Amino acid sequence: MNDYNYIGKEIPRVDGPAKATGQAVYTVDVKLPEMLYGKILRSPHPHARLLKVDTSAAEQLPGVEAVITGEDLQEVRYAFVDTPRYPADEQPLATEKVRYIGDEVAAVAAESEAIAEKALSLIKVEYEILPAVFDPEKAMQEGAPVIHGEQSASTSFWEDWGVAQQKKTVQEDPSINNLSGHTFVSFGDVEQAFQEADYSREDRFELKPTAHCQMEPHAAVASYNPLEDKLHVWLSTQGIFLKRLFLSKTLGLPASKIRVHHSFVGGAFGGKIDLFPYEFCAAYLSIKTRRPVKIELDREEVFMTTRQRHPIIVKIKTGVKKDGTILAQDIRVIADNGGYRGSGPVVIFLCHGFSFPVYNVPNYRYEGFSIYTNNGIRGPQRGHGAPQIRFAIDSHLDLIARDLDLDLLTIMHKNVRQEGDVLPNGDRLDSCGLTECLMGAAGAIDWQKKREQSHLQANGNRYRRGVGISLCSMFSGAMYYPFASAAVVKMHDDGSATLFTGAQDIGQGSYTTMSQVLAEELGIGIEDICVVAGDTELCPIDLGSFLSCTALVTGNAVKKAAADAKRQMLESAADLLGLADPAGLKTQNKMIYLEDDPQKSVSFAQAIQASVLKRDGNPIIGRGSFKGYPRTERYPSLAKAKGLFTGAYGFAAQAAEVEVDTLTGLVRLVKAVTFHDCGFPLNKTVVEGQIHGCVSMGAGQALSEEVHLEKGQLFNPSFLHYQLPIALDTPESAEGLVATIEPSGPFGAKEVGEGCVAGILGAIANAVHDAIGVRIYSLPITPEKVLRALKKI
Amino acid sequence: MEKTIRLTVNGEEKTLKIGVQQTLLEVLREDLGLTGTKKGCNQGECGACTVLLDGKPVSSCLLLAVKADGKTVLTIEGLAQAGELHPMQQAFNEKGAIQCGFCSPGMILVAKSLLERNPNPSTQEIKEAIAGNICRCTGYLQIIEAIRSFVS
Ligand code: FES
Ligand code: FES
Repeated sequence: MNDYNYIGKEIPRVDGPAKATGQAVYTVDVKLPEMLYGKILRSPHPHARLLKVDTSAAEQLPGVEAVITGEDLQEVRYAFVDTPRYPADEQPLATEKVRYIGDEVAAVAAESEAIAEKALSLIKVEYEILPAVFDPEKAMQEGAPVIHGEQSASTSFWEDWGVAQQKKTVQEDPSINNLSGHTFVSFGDVEQAFQEADYSREDRFELKPTAHCQMEPHAAVASYNPLEDKLHVWLSTQGIFLKRLFLSKTLGLPASKIRVHHSFVGGAFGGKIDLFPYEFCAAYLSIKTRRPVKIELDREEVFMTTRQRHPIIVKIKTGVKKDGTILAQDIRVIADNGGYRGSGPVVIFLCHGFSFPVYNVPNYRYEGFSIYTNNGIRGPQRGHGAPQIRFAIDSHLDLIARDLDLDLLTIMHKNVRQEGDVLPNGDRLDSCGLTECLMGAAGAIDWQKKREQSHLQANGNRYRRGVGISLCSMFSGAMYYPFASAAVVKMHDDGSATLFTGAQDIGQGSYTTMSQVLAEELGIGIEDICVVAGDTELCPIDLGSFLSCTALVTGNAVKKAAADAKRQMLESAADLLGLADPAGLKTQNKMIYLEDDPQKSVSFAQAIQASVLKRDGNPIIGRGSFKGYPRTERYPSLAKAKGLFTGAYGFAAQAAEVEVDTLTGLVRLVKAVTFHDCGFPLNKTVVEGQIHGCVSMGAGQALSEEVHLEKGQLFNPSFLHYQLPIALDTPESAEGLVATIEPSGPFGAKEVGEGCVAGILGAIANAVHDAIGVRIYSLPITPEKVLRALKKI
Repeated sequence: MEKTIRLTVNGEEKTLKIGVQQTLLEVLREDLGLTGTKKGCNQGECGACTVLLDGKPVSSCLLLAVKADGKTVLTIEGLAQAGELHPMQQAFNEKGAIQCGFCSPGMILVAKSLLERNPNPSTQEIKEAIAGNICRCTGYLQIIEAIRSFVS
């Protein structure tokens, strides 16, 4: 299909040896001389007024260097969503109220963790307990306890950046209590279309909160150097420039006075992008004490106080023609974002963003509400809205197919979008392999045969099998701060290169895939490349490793930087070879040669040396940049879902075969199939690894994972009780990569790391229905729910 | 209270003065600076802190260091010899069994000890051996494949 030397090859990870030998330094491993240890005092109440925080005894404890409370930080506000419409609502340490169990109240820096822990126990806090609300539908009602309601005086990031789309507005619908965000989109004539439909049905689905479970706990090390007036930080993060912006804004330091240093990241999955109070406190305490401060959360704190996936309620109504053609869809989403806004307005926007690229729905209405409750804060998690909405839509379509006695595959094929489609917001599907993905996944799971078999199963069988399928889509980056990624390629005089990129390898393999892009474009080996990444001082801006932007956006920046370096080298080589211009010159293996006469050649080293000596001392530095979405300067409106969203959508079809034990209610995932359209796979091993990780996480969230909350209290803050997949749960698996070649992607590449966490949920839910003949409308599908559905308990 | 213990760590004999409440994980990470051994939960539930104690995998976060007195510890730092990756490290890297890498040190040591006990494990035996080591990134498939590559 191509004659690439590095792209598409299964090249081992460039950071593999460091990780395999224990040399890779993660934030939790960073230890600086004279370092203090920080700990955070948290609220035991879900909703309470803070009357008094007395830190005097803690301050007296030998070994305690500093104690801070909200009093010290009155004005500081920040949030993941910080726009004129949705002003920042979080504080590093509470001032007037606490709003969930775990909310930060005070922080201590001491000579050891044990002393810091002891100091926390000496802080006396007086609370006035307030009525709390934990159910978003109840929180929306009149008379429910009001969780926020304060007005922010600060300007938003977007206003600071001059890209704000509108003036400040207050919440637009006062009739809904505790509203933190609202999205409304509509096109076509929905009412009319429902009247014209041959059949319609309405369903309600529900998903519980889930945890990221990154294996490296959240941690921060901060070291303020007064001589340079500079703050050095090591953060376990997936977006160094966004973190720097957050810190700069909250600490009141210029961005250039903050340096985020590189450290390896032990998993992120969306849960290491928000600014967290422990990060701010580490920085603040270091500035205050003039000593390095480290704060590492324990596993319980990670479960409780970092972020969870939004529990979501989806009501969906669809009208179809007899043959399964979708005419109209009406979707209503309620997301519980917990005590602070978190990414509430984003997830309700994205539920739309991941709904409408898959099926062509001519008449469509979508309304999303994000709601404050007194639960823990919810933020981005792999797929961010895609798992919730895809589960609901494809479970619902399966029900419609059953009602109409149609094959779900037929309905899907009839309605899926095709390459060349233009979405209602103006996004173009220049590549779209949904149909091929669907055919591939159905084939690999043996759809026709298995579905026939499941119908023939005897009712009395204890073990029953079934198959299901679902589709998903995902962005490949978008316009959010810093709105672009850039890369620099510095050539060395031996012809090798150093790549500078702000993108962080959080496990997804970006150092490797970016090296491949560079190697291919430049004509050097992977071993001739050194990657310098994840450091705000050394590296140019990058969107960060979230919203699946790295392959497409950073990839393009790297490719352009490589092309720029190559152009300069070819010009120098043309001089050396006495050619009028560099046209006709090619590169390979650090050599430059004339394509028509390969004998005529110079090495990279010679070209670089000649460039230094003969071309203004130019040592050859290539640079490239790429916008989050080249066709626009705007971020999309979260509330109206207007504007362009993303340069390319990744797509996948996923199928599952399950076995249900009707005696115990236990569901076993027997086989998982994913056919993914990632444009062009830059590295098959890496791409498959992303798919496996998504499938495993999705399967866990479909069958067992749930953050159990009872009146805001977390009941299972440990791996053992949270029940994420272990090796024994690994299903048989099959993957197919549908290469569609995305024209805007580097070598045709686009998203792969997130979308396919989503389709597996609907696939499993549909398979369970197929096996036992009953629908389960809420995830996870626990044994208890299965037995209830079977009316056995 | 402090106590002096003798430990052979990665082939080197050490005499260490440690607090009696310190876990082996703390001694390795904090006192010896061997941060390749990871702390994922500190509760014995993730396997990230696995080291080989007299050749057998243990969760070092659950083991008081005084209990390791006189024993031999192999951590991930002791596996590669003379700048060459151990074949298991090599296999993990080639098969894509490493993503974020946080589980990898523990996982690699468990895999090594499995093959020493049982040179020809079935896939099910491999899954059982690594069942106490959580990996959130890989879905385990490429890890299982890496270990299987040693099975004839
Ligand atoms: S850190 Fe020891 S088992 Fe998790
Ligand atoms: S590679 Fe990240 S947890 Fe295993």
